Formats: sequence, C-alpha cells, structure tokens
Amino acid sequence: MLSFIARRLAIAIPTIFLVSVFVFFLQKLLPGDPALVLAGEERDPETLAFIREKYHLNEPILTQYFYWVSGMLKGDFGISLRTNQPVLELIGEKLPVTIQLAVMAMIIAMIIGIPAGILSAVRKGTAVDYTANIIALSGLSIPNFWLGIMLIMLVSVHLGWLPASGYESPFVDPLRSLETMIMPAFVLGTALAATLMRHTRSAMLGVLRTDYVRTARAKGLQEKVVVLKHAFRNALLPIVTLSALLFGELLAGAVLTEQIFTIPGFGKLIVDAVFTRDYAVVQGVVMCTAVGFILMNLVADVLYFLLNPRMRTAL
Amino acid sequence: MSEGTDSRSGGSKNPSLLTVDNLAIRFGNAPANTVDGISFAVDRGETLCIVGESGCGKSISALALMGLLPMPPAKIAGGRVSFDQRDLLTLPAKARADLRGDRMAMIFQEPMTSLNPAFRIGDQIAEGVLRHRAISQADARRRALQMLDRVKIPAAAERLDDYPHQLSGGMRQRVMIAMALANDPDLLIADEPTTALDVTIQAQILELMKTLQEETGTALIMITHDLGVVAEIADQVAVMYAGRIVEQGPVEAIFDDPQHPYTIGLMSSLPSLGERQSRLTTISGMVPTIETMPSGCRFAPRCPFVRETCITRAPELTSMSPGHLAACHFAPLETHMVEAV
Repeated sequence: MLSFIARRLAIAIPTIFLVSVFVFFLQKLLPGDPALVLAGEERDPETLAFIREKYHLNEPILTQYFYWVSGMLKGDFGISLRTNQPVLELIGEKLPVTIQLAVMAMIIAMIIGIPAGILSAVRKGTAVDYTANIIALSGLSIPNFWLGIMLIMLVSVHLGWLPASGYESPFVDPLRSLETMIMPAFVLGTALAATLMRHTRSAMLGVLRTDYVRTARAKGLQEKVVVLKHAFRNALLPIVTLSALLFGELLAGAVLTEQIFTIPGFGKLIVDAVFTRDYAVVQGVVMCTAVGFILMNLVADVLYFLLNPRMRTAL
Repeated sequence: MSEGTDSRSGGSKNPSLLTVDNLAIRFGNAPANTVDGISFAVDRGETLCIVGESGCGKSISALALMGLLPMPPAKIAGGRVSFDQRDLLTLPAKARADLRGDRMAMIFQEPMTSLNPAFRIGDQIAEGVLRHRAISQADARRRALQMLDRVKIPAAAERLDDYPHQLSGGMRQRVMIAMALANDPDLLIADEPTTALDVTIQAQILELMKTLQEETGTALIMITHDLGVVAEIADQVAVMYAGRIVEQGPVEAIFDDPQHPYTIGLMSSLPSLGERQSRLTTISGMVPTIETMPSGCRFAPRCPFVRETCITRAPELTSMSPGHLAACHFAPLETHMVEAV
C-alpha cells in the first residue's frame, strides 16, 4: 500500500514540474512589464533598475525560473505585489474557505446525485427514471451564476432567510458559517449532482445486468441488499474516482460562484490577482491548484485501490 | 418422473417435489411463446436433464422456475408450477424469495462472472446461510468452511478469505455449488454448469455434483446440450426443441429407443453411438426464430419425415411406452414411416 502511494507520488513529480514550466513561461508571455507595474507613477530609471535587480528581472529567463522554483521548494512563493503579504500566507488564508465550500458542495452533490442515480437505474424506463434524468439535464444546463443570482433574489432578498454574501469561519461561528456557505455550496453541488447522477445511473445499469447480481437474487436476498450491497459496491469504483476528480475541479472551479456570493476564497484570490497583475499570487495559486488536483487524483487512485480486491491482492 | 398432468390430477400416491404443468413464457409482444406449454415433474433425489440446443428455452424455463426471469420483458403466458405442493407462480414475491436459496437453489453457466468480485467467497457463502437461517455470523462462517470442504476445495480454511479472482474457473464453480447447497435445498437447478470449463474439470465437477446429490438427496434439474452429461447423470430426460418438449422419458428409453426425429437427430450427431447411427447424421437447417415460429410442429421445417399434417397441426405428447412420451404425429416412426425410410 505504502509503496503504491510512493510510486504514485513519484509519478506526480514530473507532472508538477511540467505544470510549473507552463505556469512560469505562460506568464512571461503575457504583455506588460511587472517592473513598470511595481514602480507605479514614479518610473524613474533608478527605481526600475532597482526593482529589476531585486526581482532578478534582468537575469536570463531560465535563471529566473530557477530562482522561482527553488524559492517554492523552500516554501517561499514570493510576496504579493498588491498586499505585500507573502503569497503562502494569502493562500493559507483563502484555501480553507474554498475547501470548506468544496466539501459542502460535494456532500450536497453526493446526497442528491448518488441516490437519484441508483433509483433511476433500478426504475429504468419508468416515470422516476425520466423525471430524474430531466432534473439532471436541467441541473447540467442551468449556469451556476444564474442559479446563484436567482437563489440570492429568492432566498435572501425576498424571503430574507439567508445572507446574500459574506463569510464566517466555521471555527468562529459554525451556524453563521453554515448560513453563508449553504447557498453557494448548493449552487455548486447541484451541478455536480447531475454529473454524479448520470454516472451512478450508468454504472448501476451495467452492474445490475451482471451474473453475480443474478447470483445474489438466487440466494433469495432482499432486493434492497441486492441493489445496495452487491450491485452498488461494484458500481462504487467509477463513482469514487469521478467524485475525487470533481472535488479537485471544485478547488479551482468555484471562481464564478465565489464572485457572486463574495466569498473570500481561492477563486476570488486568483481573479483579483489576475486583474492587478499580481504575478506571484497568480503563479502560487495556479501551482497550488495543480498540486491539489494531482493530490485528488492520488486520492482517487488510492480509493480505487482500496475498493478493488483485484488490485489490492495483486500486491 | 410422471407427466405433469398425471400428478396434478392424482394425489393418491406421493406427489412430486416439483410439477411443471403446461408452462408458457412469452417475451414482450412476440408473436409466439418462447416456452410453449412444457410439463414435467421431478421427484426428490431424482435427476432430470433438460436437453436442447441453445435458444430452445431451457435456460429461460429454469430462470422462470427460480423466479429470476426479468419480468417484464418476459411474462408467464400460462401454466402452473407447484413446488412441494405450493403454487409457485401465484406466490407473493417475498415468499418466493424465502424459498430461493433455501429450498431451491441454482448454479449457472459462467463461474467466472457469477461470483461477486468485491466480496470474499466465505462471506458470499455465509450470506446465503444467514439470509435463511437464524444463526450467528460465526456459525454461518463455519458452515461456509464446511461447504468448501464438501465441494473438495483444497485448503478450504485458507480459501475462505479469498476473492473470486484468486480462484480458477473450476474452483469458482465449486464455490457456486457450495453456495447453492449451503442450505440443503430440496431442488438444485444447474444451468449448463460445466459448459464453460475445461474438459477434465467438467468431469470433476459432474462427478462432484453426482456425489453430493447422492449424499444430500437433492433433486437435480440439469440443463445441458451435452448428451454425454445426460448419459452420465440423468434419471429422466426431457428433450426441448424451440420452446416445446418434444420427447421425454427415462434416460434408457431416450438413449435406446429415441422416437422423435429431433431426438434421433441429436443421438446420431453424437459420434460412436453404435447401431442407430445409420438413420441420420446431422439435422439440417436452423432453429426457427420467434418471428418465424411454425404454427404446426415446430420441428417440421427441419424434419426429414415431414408431412402435410405436421405443418398444420402441432403434435401432442403421446405415450410410446410407460413414462416415455414423444410429440410426433408419426411416432413411433417404425410403424408409421416404413415407406419413407
């Protein structure tokens, strides 16, 4: 098991290296001189020269890359040009917010998507199946931002049940935190629920046709046990993999939703950084997202490994 | 075995364990019944072999007996099935599931895919015991071990925690047999249990089933297309063609004196069967599809002895000798068809 994880981590290293190359060089291709941005109104040659010297902007590009990477390896992601805070500190502030949002969204997605998928597979071709499919299709078709705005209008403006925006840490005021997060989590979660429902349905349909499900029925097991134990346990493999990947996407993909609900998360951080040419922050955030995504991939692999006896016993 | 209709009207002598009377199964809006009025009976401890080509409805009949046929698309178009004097087809689903895996059990053709890959084989056997018996987990596990021993899996105690993929096809079929027999069923239905296995393993599995049946007194319905298997284990034989039983009777009668042209064809297509080989060698043509099912005798399009009557009227099963029935207008052929040969 440990050697399996170690091997997967070893494979992740070249991936992370490639990502770092892309992040660094793509940003260098962007128009605009960071020294000019930093220097602000003054722009006298001495200041510019000082800035270029300080941030190694005069060095060959490969050297600059080397400085950046070695800094990151030491935990130094640079300083935000906008707020003068270390990038790592900024990420440390914002990431937990997004993780909380992603976890809540994922829970909502699973609570809705998986049972709906199982039900529509078991009741294939009936009104239940069609209804679930229509709802799922609507869930996939409705854009997040539209649903978010509609929810704010209905729940916050008209009914006044929940705050329209803002954020509170769950460690400070759990109830308030839940109140501020539940709507954005719902918006993100319903879209994912649709994807999860479709995948659960097709995985279950495949499994319900298998010989071993017939064997389970031949044992006289209750239909509930046949579906939820014998069938679902095998349908779980693709569902778990998909969920882990969806979660990875959530970490980076909540940009719009965070904007609408003005949640001070990762998505908002990156949008603000891009608009203000806060290079160090953009690079740091993208690197973090990439690493997070790779980690979620690893989690998917490990879960797959744990759930699949054929892989587990092969080691 | 007695014909279904006989034992239903009777009741004076011991009724059969399973009596199938005129069972018909139809799929969706098909123009004809896939299984069209089959009748047979099986006594305790007896082995009935249902023989026929693939697609003749033998597996579908077996699944219907077990209550495992997906309905819809299939539906019971008629007939009665009584198991231990209970009417199976009108039994509520719950009562049916209570019988399944307990009093009646089934093993399937594909041992490679019939076990759940996600669970240990010991747990899969114990699960069926726990479903039907009020015993502890530990006792169920002991029973699973005992069953693995009985189906002669070497080092059974270590195998108990194996996953199916760690076993060969023959071993998996042994596990399936262990699972099916774990609750000492009165009836075991085996749907081509050896077809997917290597020839040497086939013989072992057959031998094992025979031994276990003798030990437990379970009635066995063996579905097969392999006449070698029939010769090996059958007491009674029912030959199916295109959804109907065309001939049935004691195994000796079927092998020594087949009366239906289809049975004769089957026998002749077996190599080295001796004296009767000269009559027919192959059966030309194909089994009709459900859309092209003849309205008279379903074998008529392929029958070398076909007459006008065969095309217009379906033959009834009639007695050739005590317990030996054939559904042919011209059976026994020797008396009716002297001029044709």
